[in-house]
Amino acid sequence: LIIFMLKSQCRRYCLSGHPTLPCNVLKFKSTTIMLDCGLDTTSALYFLPLPLVHSSRLSKLPGWASKDGTVNLEKELKECAGRVFVDSQPEFCLPEVELLDLSTVDVILISNYHCMMALPYITEHTGFSGTVYATEPTFQIGRLLMEELVTFMERVPKAQSATCWKNKEIQRMLPGPLKDAVDVWSWKRCYSMQEVNSALSKVQLVGYSQKVELFGAVQVTPLSSGYSLGSSNWIIQSHYEKVSYVSGSSLLTTHPQPMDQSSLKNSDVLILTGLTQIPTANPDGMLGEFCSNLAMTIRAGGNVLVPCYSSGVIYDLLECLYQFMDSANLGTTPFYFISPVANSSLEFSQIFAEWLCQNKQSKVYLPEPPFPHAELIQTNKLKHYPSIHGEFSSEFRQPCVVFTGHPSLRFGDVVHFMELWGKSSLNTIIFTEPDFSYLDALAPYQPLAMKCVYCPIDTRLNFHQVSKLLKEVQPLHVVCPEQYTQPPPAQSHRSDLMLELQPPPMAYRRCSVLGLPFRRRYERIQLQPELAKALVPSEIKPGISVATVSAVLQSKDNKHVLQPVPKPTPVPPSKKRKRLMEEVPELLSPKPLLSGSIPLDAFLASLHKSGITEVKVEETADGHILHLQAEDALIQLEEDATHIVCDNNEPLRTALRDLVLRFLQKL
Amino acid sequence: MESDCLSLLPSVCKVLANPKLLLPDDTSLEKLLDWFRESMSQSYGKHIIPHQPSLLQFLLSVTTSQEMDPTVFSFALKLTGLLASKEDSFNLLEEKGMLQYMFEPDNWHKLDLWKNASVRCGWLQGLWNMLQHQQAMDFFCKRDLVKLVLYLQNDKSLFIASLTNQVLAHFLNSTMLSNDFESVAQNSPASTDWASVTTKVMIHMAKSLASEEQAVVLSGLRQLAVVLTQCREPLKEMLWTHVLEPLELLANLHDGSLTQHIMAVLQVSARSPLFIKPECRVEALMEAMLCSRNANTSVQCAALILQLENCPETLERKATNVLLHPLLFVTSCSLQPHGPDYDSLFEEQLTQRISCVPLITQSLSSIADLVCKSPLDDIPVRLITLSVISLLRICLGHHSTTLQKAGTYSHLIGCCKVQRCSLDVLGSLAACKENADTVHEALAVLLLYLQCPDVHATVLKKTHQAILKWFSICSPSTDLWKTVHHDLFPLLKKHVCDGRWEVRDSTLEFIMQLTATLKGNSKYVEALHDCGMVSVLFTSLSDVEGYVRASAVAALGETLTTTDLQLSTSLQEEAVKHLLTILTEDTDSFPRRAVMKVFTSWLKSTLVFTALDHTLSSVLSLGSSDFDWEVKVHTLELADVLMDSLLNCCPYSIHTFQSSDRTGIKQALNELMVLGLFDLLLKCLFECDRPVSEKACALLLKLQTFMRETFSAGHSDLTLEISGCSWSEEMLQRCYKKQQGNESNCMKNGDQVPDLPKKVGLFELLELLDLEDMQYISSLSSDHVINSPQSIMEDILFAAQQSEENVVDCY
Repeated sequence: LIIFMLKSQCRRYCLSGHPTLPCNVLKFKSTTIMLDCGLDTTSALYFLPLPLVHSSRLSKLPGWASKDGTVNLEKELKECAGRVFVDSQPEFCLPEVELLDLSTVDVILISNYHCMMALPYITEHTGFSGTVYATEPTFQIGRLLMEELVTFMERVPKAQSATCWKNKEIQRMLPGPLKDAVDVWSWKRCYSMQEVNSALSKVQLVGYSQKVELFGAVQVTPLSSGYSLGSSNWIIQSHYEKVSYVSGSSLLTTHPQPMDQSSLKNSDVLILTGLTQIPTANPDGMLGEFCSNLAMTIRAGGNVLVPCYSSGVIYDLLECLYQFMDSANLGTTPFYFISPVANSSLEFSQIFAEWLCQNKQSKVYLPEPPFPHAELIQTNKLKHYPSIHGEFSSEFRQPCVVFTGHPSLRFGDVVHFMELWGKSSLNTIIFTEPDFSYLDALAPYQPLAMKCVYCPIDTRLNFHQVSKLLKEVQPLHVVCPEQYTQPPPAQSHRSDLMLELQPPPMAYRRCSVLGLPFRRRYERIQLQPELAKALVPSEIKPGISVATVSAVLQSKDNKHVLQPVPKPTPVPPSKKRKRLMEEVPELLSPKPLLSGSIPLDAFLASLHKSGITEVKVEETADGHILHLQAEDALIQLEEDATHIVCDNNEPLRTALRDLVLRFLQKL
Repeated sequence: MESDCLSLLPSVCKVLANPKLLLPDDTSLEKLLDWFRESMSQSYGKHIIPHQPSLLQFLLSVTTSQEMDPTVFSFALKLTGLLASKEDSFNLLEEKGMLQYMFEPDNWHKLDLWKNASVRCGWLQGLWNMLQHQQAMDFFCKRDLVKLVLYLQNDKSLFIASLTNQVLAHFLNSTMLSNDFESVAQNSPASTDWASVTTKVMIHMAKSLASEEQAVVLSGLRQLAVVLTQCREPLKEMLWTHVLEPLELLANLHDGSLTQHIMAVLQVSARSPLFIKPECRVEALMEAMLCSRNANTSVQCAALILQLENCPETLERKATNVLLHPLLFVTSCSLQPHGPDYDSLFEEQLTQRISCVPLITQSLSSIADLVCKSPLDDIPVRLITLSVISLLRICLGHHSTTLQKAGTYSHLIGCCKVQRCSLDVLGSLAACKENADTVHEALAVLLLYLQCPDVHATVLKKTHQAILKWFSICSPSTDLWKTVHHDLFPLLKKHVCDGRWEVRDSTLEFIMQLTATLKGNSKYVEALHDCGMVSVLFTSLSDVEGYVRASAVAALGETLTTTDLQLSTSLQEEAVKHLLTILTEDTDSFPRRAVMKVFTSWLKSTLVFTALDHTLSSVLSLGSSDFDWEVKVHTLELADVLMDSLLNCCPYSIHTFQSSDRTGIKQALNELMVLGLFDLLLKCLFECDRPVSEKACALLLKLQTFMRETFSAGHSDLTLEISGCSWSEEMLQRCYKKQQGNESNCMKNGDQVPDLPKKVGLFELLELLDLEDMQYISSLSSDHVINSPQSIMEDILFAAQQSEENVVDCY
């Protein structure tokens, strides 16, 4: 999305369609601000899984050719479980890069670590030369997630790159869902670690409520959004306008600092993204469902696989299990957390005390680790490994619970466990991340004997909470993805699952440009002290004084200063120069300004005194019209204007004007 | 009147009359009044004053005292009223001028006392106590005390306002009491007084109803309801004619805040002869309420109408329509058109959360009563059932229809109140014959509730109850077993692993109840075992929560009674092993109680539990030494069943036993002794927990009766080893005391108790114990000591003796 805010008019454009992985650009005053750069990884679902250990099943898949034999893509496409998958390294769908010259972006504001995964694509290949702002946990955990993604990809290199299938003519002939994939040409392979490092070197760290000036024109401030460690909403404001950017916020009591709602008040525009993806599932219920399914499987002697990201909900899952384990007699069951960044993720979470909720913060002073997973690790109940290779394979004990990535089931250690456990109905896979359709994720593993449970835990705001929040903060206008303005397609009767606001929110979709519905009216200008000293204010109403000012306006770095007019230097009498001087506009003292209202009765009396007696007064909506019948003239008295109409009688007009002026004050 | 109490009375009166002494709390004064009242109702209490001059002195001192504690003054007012309820005392008190002083507050030395609510309350109570005879009534009327009573009707204290209603109702009733009373009243000049006071009261009530102030109207309505409930004909009709007009105005006002009170009045009038008298227009009033602008009022009124017997058919039909309307409207079931106005009225209130939920729950709960009591003629029960099912689906967000009622849906989704209420109704609808073919729909929605992860624990419990009810009417078809096997049991397995203990608990309870209901069904038993439910129950025995373990014990116990035990002795042995571990080691008492109950139920059942039979003696000894008295009581119940089964004795039938029987019985008694049953009974007999000793005593008595009937004295040959038993000492003391009493021996306190022989015959032992006496003593509650009038009086005296120094030490 691109939102232009022009001085006199506001417009919008849009590039990304994913409401929870936003990438918006806001043009505000003279700055161009990118809000988040989320990476849509759902495109990976079209690809074959990348097995860590050689899988005979996956290596023996038949290639795909059209039935009539005209198209043969046996090398690029494989048939697996009745579906066709692309056999190459998975590719991701980037935010739109064509709509706007991204080198003009001045800053990028990141709201949480899930929404920065496309950063290397933006900062490294578009000529971007600005700064990225993010909080420290966002930066650190974002780095971990990128590092994990790169490791997942680089661990199993695939030389082959599939491109033929993307040909429009060919794609049309492919079976679904490949046929319906959109923008396939813009899909890109994963970035490298070098690109990640370079991108992250452009990040400048900020703290909550810290005010950052951008070129003197606008000020940006991150606020706690309560969704994840270091997650933020942003306030972008000038002296007279305020835009709030709300992305991925949560009002639930989980591990992060609670959401700062009050600072969002009095916004002219509130951009709302990152609401819950599963509005029908209540996180508490899902957490309960997660625990009971886990316990049921373990009791029956099976293993549990939890495909998840290595940071975020996993902290809450571990905390919940910590409390639940004893009550469910799971005390001896080992929990494994396998990720290249498992260790760092668990340790990072413990050191960001200032970014945690009050309850956890206070533990630090005891001193105790804020998260109970420290105790799980200490007591050997939770073990973490960088990968299934090495130490893990020797210590692995079943039945167990394994947390590992990637939730798309296309790469990472999870692929191995799917191959290992998929055949037994004793085992269970529990999906907790809401980003991927679990049925699509499971497609290449069919037929699957393993039990499958879908417990998506999305703690972001739901529609009920949003409407409460908006009632509270009362923005003048709300801008949101179009998905939020109608009920989900699968539940068209659920009118409670959409935003209903007055005035209705402005909706956007990928590649749209939006003019924001408010005009900028004011700009702050400073007066220099000597100029201020020279002002002669006169009171026009109790408490309100006015003064006229003659000055030179200097605008520099988006700051405007009124300076005294330089005095003309005394000119030596030279004929040549005299002519030049005449071209300089002469500085005349301005005409006095008039103010006040004309009291009708007194005015009539003064007309009478001047000999104008035949006056017919007519009341109008704005004031009065006086017909001077003998003189054949009209005087229109309105609140903000007075007109004297008389035909070719200049002396009369002047006389009447003077009469009017007598009642007005001069400045 | 007990002499002990009477001797204490003068000093108590002195204490009460002395304002300088510390006073007991007013509950003891209340209890004292209760005692007076009780004594006066007995014949000897009628002339209490002449025999107890101290009471009169106390009252006299109250009338003369300048500083009187409000609590004591209030007590004195009540007491005066109570004493004056007897005619002779009344005369005496009137002579002494005490009645005038007490009941005319203008005469009080300290007018401030009236400001105290307890004093006003005492005044009313005293008046109520007094108004028992003609003279008192005359006194009441002549002194125009009714004016003050009516004034108190709007008192800010609710207790006083409500007491006023009672006093007025009592007065009005008394004017109509008995025939001879009436005739006296008619002939005496007093009758005119009475009639005028009665009219005054009625006019006052009508005026209150027509008042501009809502508080006055409300208290008027409350009063009307009380008076109508209590007063007799023809007074009721007289009153009704006075209040009908303002009442009709109120009913047509359609003010929601008055609904409840008007309904209370209508409820009373509808259950009286007023209802059938056309001139009383009760029916018209009800119709006005039914067609109220406020849907809630309409539904409440409809619920009331449908509870009435002999209700006119048209009114009943209208009420039924109103009552069903919210449910049918929300679920888009249309029965008959109501007209746009009616629909819009309901629609408006159903789209607001605040009125929607109460409206629907009221409608639902009345429907349950309605349908279950008598089938509705013109409304198919099936339609109602399907509506309730749709409503349940809506509450889960599963309903897909037009967006028309979207506003209502959004606040019904996830609403626990509506869910619980609907599940209750669905459960009770199972009892209707017409619903035989809706079983599938009902079970489908109930399973949906079990599946939903967001459902509240209480809602799950209601779901369980409803499923039980529907299962009990189901014909056991293959489909049903499929449902149980494939849908129900997997869900229950998951719920047993839930994080909330309430859910685990109610699920196990449900398994137990379901098993009990479907016990005889081999398919069910098969499914139970095939799905691994038994192992789930075994795992739940080690749940962290005591309640859950208890429910698991109960469920397992029930499940094992369904099994063909010949085939599953290993299962039985395992269960007994687990249960014994719980009985020995569990720190919570609930699971231990449950274990004892399960063992008892097993013994009662016709099945043979060999594994239990082997461990009975340790069960009895564990049960008897438990710290929890309830476990002990359950152990005694087990002992009872054991005795019954071995001795085959029944306390109500008298057998004459043949000698061959006797040998069998001796053997059985021997067996009981080996199991340690007698040891258990005697040990429990001397327990300090009353229910335990009571139960043990009852069992010993039963045994004694049995032995007396079976053997002549001393012929049982059964001897008990008593040395080393924990109860032997206590036993010895008692026997010794008894002996001492019998023989009036002059042994002194310090004398040694003689040793009892090591062995004693059971028969002799039972005879030595005075079991009947012990049973009588233990049947009295501890209350009888603490609440006796003597103890109350002692408390009062004790409180008065306390000075500031010793007040800290007391208790």
